[in-house]
Amino acid sequence: MNKEIASSQITIKGIRDGLLISVGRYYSFADLYKELKEEVTQKGSFLRNSRIALEVGGQILTLEELTNLQILFAQHGMALWAILSRREATREAARELGLATRLPGSKMDLQGNGKPDPALAPEATQNQQPPNALLIKETLRSGRHVFYEGHIVIVGDVNPGAEVVAEGDIIVWGKLRGLVHAGAAGDTQATISAIDLSPTQLRIADRIAVTPPAEKNQHILPETALIRDNQIIAEPWK
Amino acid sequence: MKLGKVITITSGKGGVGKTTLTANLSAALASIGRKVVAIDTDIGLRNLDVVMGLENRIVYDLVDVIEGRCRLKQAMIKDKRVNSLYMIPAAQTRDKMSISPTDMVLVCDQLREEMDYILIDSPAGIERGFQNALAPSDQVLIVTNPEVSAVRDADRIIGLVDAAEKGPAQLLVNRLKPEMVARGDMLSINDIVEILAVDVLGIIPEDESILISSNRGTPLTLDNGHMPRARIAVQNVARRIEGESVPFIDLTAREGLLSKVKGWFGG
Ligand SMILES: Nc1ncnc2c1ncn2[C@@H]1O[C@H](COP(=O)(O)OP(=O)(O)OP(=O)(O)O)[C@@H](O)[C@H]1O
Ligand SMILES: [Mg+2]
Repeated sequence: MNKEIASSQITIKGIRDGLLISVGRYYSFADLYKELKEEVTQKGSFLRNSRIALEVGGQILTLEELTNLQILFAQHGMALWAILSRREATREAARELGLATRLPGSKMDLQGNGKPDPALAPEATQNQQPPNALLIKETLRSGRHVFYEGHIVIVGDVNPGAEVVAEGDIIVWGKLRGLVHAGAAGDTQATISAIDLSPTQLRIADRIAVTPPAEKNQHILPETALIRDNQIIAEPWK
Repeated sequence: MKLGKVITITSGKGGVGKTTLTANLSAALASIGRKVVAIDTDIGLRNLDVVMGLENRIVYDLVDVIEGRCRLKQAMIKDKRVNSLYMIPAAQTRDKMSISPTDMVLVCDQLREEMDYILIDSPAGIERGFQNALAPSDQVLIVTNPEVSAVRDADRIIGLVDAAEKGPAQLLVNRLKPEMVARGDMLSINDIVEILAVDVLGIIPEDESILISSNRGTPLTLDNGHMPRARIAVQNVARRIEGESVPFIDLTAREGLLSKVKGWFGG
């Protein structure tokens, strides 16, 4: 089966301390939760009574989201004991819940530096090249956080209170009113485009810009924001 | 055997009118002959009983039911002013962790067999109390006020409701002041719908008679002498829940001259 189009992004592997569940690419907690739920429901009897270490990649998970996962596993007779994440915020939340944030004997230390022990890491995380753009076909409401290592294309709105962070460009086929950060790893060539470009805050690489307050009934035209002469400017979308 | 519907009334921001609307809507549904129970899930901060005027009759509460200290029926306080209206109070001396989403599903499944509607008054916020209120829900009503911060929080909740596969949620816009909207000093219904992109089930005006009735413990919809606009607005919500298509009333008209439908003015 072609890994790129495999329907389930979840891999499960036996390790010394129970099972290591790794989730592949997902862009929202809802997705992650849904996939995990399907997986544990399907394989419930096989997984019952195991201790689970969960590897979640680069997304930020909040305390409340981790609690939901803990409950999910508990409902299926499993005990979540560790969260492996590349994000300090996620590890912080995990520690608050009394969860471990590294595997014993693993090179992935508390700061999340370094890769997990190759012997413990599932294959999927090693030889899968992520595609260079993520397509999201829905409106992102307040509280949603999306991060991707390439470009992000959104067909829908980005509401105030939502955050979109990409290492490449961001394109919104809709109203952009939340916070966006393109070129998050430092790429000053990155751009941000939207049908209605009025974000609460807009960042490209390490520059920050704020949209001037809109006048009522101002004519909307699609725009692209980019860095020129060291400054973020917006020009008509070409 | 009935197959009652569970309606959760929730919000992101606190103090927007969940408890008030739960009390009034429950009474409105009971007044048209439905069998209704309102459940207060704001454990530790109970007040639905006060707004409904049933505080002094509490013996058992929701946590007592869940922990097996009483039968479900024993915790259901029957309202004496209208037939077929009941309420289950929250525990005042416990916290939100004393009930789980699964507990709520079990309790509601039992109630469905006897009731037409089970209305759940949710605590504000996005944590455990909200999960408890959402778990058994068939229909989710999000209360918001016409102000930017409340709408922002409503947006968040709508997303969470979708994520839990309980959507699409519907909106109750509470405390609308038509004069302020007309002056451009308050978000209009159009502004709100443009951001939230969900259906509006009701628009309830700012009305001091709501406050007075809450303090007296008499839901407006049970107060026979009175027909203020807020009461009509709540009754319209009840009718819409029943499946009737009721036009929105014009809140800009003078009191007593309620009539024409005019876009999104209110009702
Ligand atoms: N339409 C209205 N007109 C005037 N006052 C109102 C209206 N709706 C609610 N209020 C008042 O607003 C206050 C808060 O209402 P309520 O307690 O129902 O909010 P809540 O959302 O349940 O709060 P909490 O989040 O604390 O549970 C009360 O004093 C109530 O009387
Ligand atoms: Mg309340």
